[in-house]
Amino acid sequence: MTDVPFHGAARSSVTRSVLIHAALIVASILMLYPLLWMLSGSFRPSEEIFGSSSLIPSSIDIGAYWRGWNGLQVSFGTFFWNSFVIAVLSTIGNVMACSLTAFAFARLNFRGRNVWFAIMLGTLMLPYHVTLIPQYILFLHLDWVNTWLPLVVPKFFAVDAFFIFLMVQFFRGIPRELDEAAMMDGCSPWRIYWKIMLPLSTPVLATAAIFSFLWTWEDFFGPLIYLNDIQTYTVQIGLRSFVDSTGSSDWSALFAMSVLSLIPIFLVFLFFQRLLIEGIATTGMKR
Amino acid sequence: MTSQTSSVGAAVPAGGRSAPAGRTRRAFGQTTAGYLFLAPWLIGFFGLTLGPALASLWLSFTNYDLLQSPTFIGTANYVRIATADPKFAAAMKVTFLYVILSVPLKLVFALLVAMAFNRGIRGLPLYRAIFYLPSLLGTSVAIAVLWRQLFAADGLVNAALANFGIIGPSWISNPNYSLYTLVVLSVWQFGSPMIIFLAGLRQIPTDMYEAASLDGASRTRQFFKITLPLLTPVIFFNFVIQTIDAFKAFTPAFIISEGTGGPINSTLFYTLYLYQEAFGFFRMGYASALAWILVIIIAIFTAFSFLSARYWVHYDD
Repeated sequence: MTDVPFHGAARSSVTRSVLIHAALIVASILMLYPLLWMLSGSFRPSEEIFGSSSLIPSSIDIGAYWRGWNGLQVSFGTFFWNSFVIAVLSTIGNVMACSLTAFAFARLNFRGRNVWFAIMLGTLMLPYHVTLIPQYILFLHLDWVNTWLPLVVPKFFAVDAFFIFLMVQFFRGIPRELDEAAMMDGCSPWRIYWKIMLPLSTPVLATAAIFSFLWTWEDFFGPLIYLNDIQTYTVQIGLRSFVDSTGSSDWSALFAMSVLSLIPIFLVFLFFQRLLIEGIATTGMKR
Repeated sequence: MTSQTSSVGAAVPAGGRSAPAGRTRRAFGQTTAGYLFLAPWLIGFFGLTLGPALASLWLSFTNYDLLQSPTFIGTANYVRIATADPKFAAAMKVTFLYVILSVPLKLVFALLVAMAFNRGIRGLPLYRAIFYLPSLLGTSVAIAVLWRQLFAADGLVNAALANFGIIGPSWISNPNYSLYTLVVLSVWQFGSPMIIFLAGLRQIPTDMYEAASLDGASRTRQFFKITLPLLTPVIFFNFVIQTIDAFKAFTPAFIISEGTGGPINSTLFYTLYLYQEAFGFFRMGYASALAWILVIIIAIFTAFSFLSARYWVHYDD
């Protein structure tokens, strides 16, 4: 990313820039310190974590990772697999269903389009709490509790209106001449969607996919409600029961599993930072 | 991605209509195709959003424990919430305190850092990444676990304070402090409003500052007369989004208090209380009423924000 100096007066005072850098470096350290402390805590004995503010362990010990991994009757491997499957399926569902909907809103002329679009925007504002309980009752009756279905299936019905909105904005920016020309050549709406729109929209599809993945990975409330069988736990729920079962006895193991649970997020951050930041800057996502 | 120029403007939903091209080319206007593409969303809207929302509205006037069928009790749930529920009062107090403290602090930090960045300093991508990371890790359980440990009696914060000879309390288990640890957590995650501010600052034309400098306006004056007014749409947007988000906060309070909202209800966020009622006591009717009250609170807040915006948000033309 290039960052062009903004004000012409940037070189006006060296002291000023030194001061800003000093402040930012101190702030950066403060921001990262807790995370680094957790990372270092995962490599040291529990009793050394307490009452210590240093980052350097007296000795490096990866035993906590092994203890944590097998700390519950089901290993964290299962939790990671569950989280991964749920996150990937949710991402696929979101991208497919939301792009279909967005294409209809952005490109097709049908009766009632504006009304539906307004309703879709309205659902953006609706807190999930009002649909929570009846949805739970519905999934309970379908016998879906303790399966991944309540967490995954809704995504295939484009319930995350936010992503629809994001994609509509992007699709509208694609020149209409392209699909009108295709239309003249007798292309069906489906082919226009599949062959023209989607290939031209990879940035927004990627942004939606990344945020879907992260949000599902981090989701705690959904799995907390729907998954009670330890075999079906996600990482977040596994971590929570690990807190409950270890209490405060084995903090290094708890830190070790916490670190592992953040690694996928960190990797996404490392590889897709540009998309994440542009996604937030252009749409105002909250996280 | 597209140009940066459209950035923050696009954050506010732009009105529905698109180009009038459809008028010329009626072939595009296949209603069937439109509804076929819309089908998954329509099913989701009726089956998973509208239907359940209406159902919960109805449930909020009933007594329902999942086992026996719901019995209609009129407004009894709402009456009890309003008059005879000390836990509701506690949850409201905690939630409002959390919103009032965390949102402004978070936004001030976000704006300050964005301003520092806006001078086009070296290493901006690195700083920005560092400041953004905590916000991305967000509501992970791992972060809540870490927070619990940071503010424990023998945690990092007290270890750091000990270096200055201060003996800190057990922040998490002290009802006077526990909520503030969650406020600190929220402020720590100022990364995404910061990025939105940064995008907003970049849209302010440079020549305005140049003209102001020529006229001898000080930097402070430039901030109050140019930056702040021109940034009000972005401040407004961040404020609304962050406030709604703060009303909905759940995970950190749940982990820090082990689901209890304790000590002495000091971290009983509204959503946590709702969760306890619904999935702890299976009082589904009562919890539905709580959910609708939350919706009403958020709606009133949003309406007031938009009404007040007329008086303080600066829009071009």
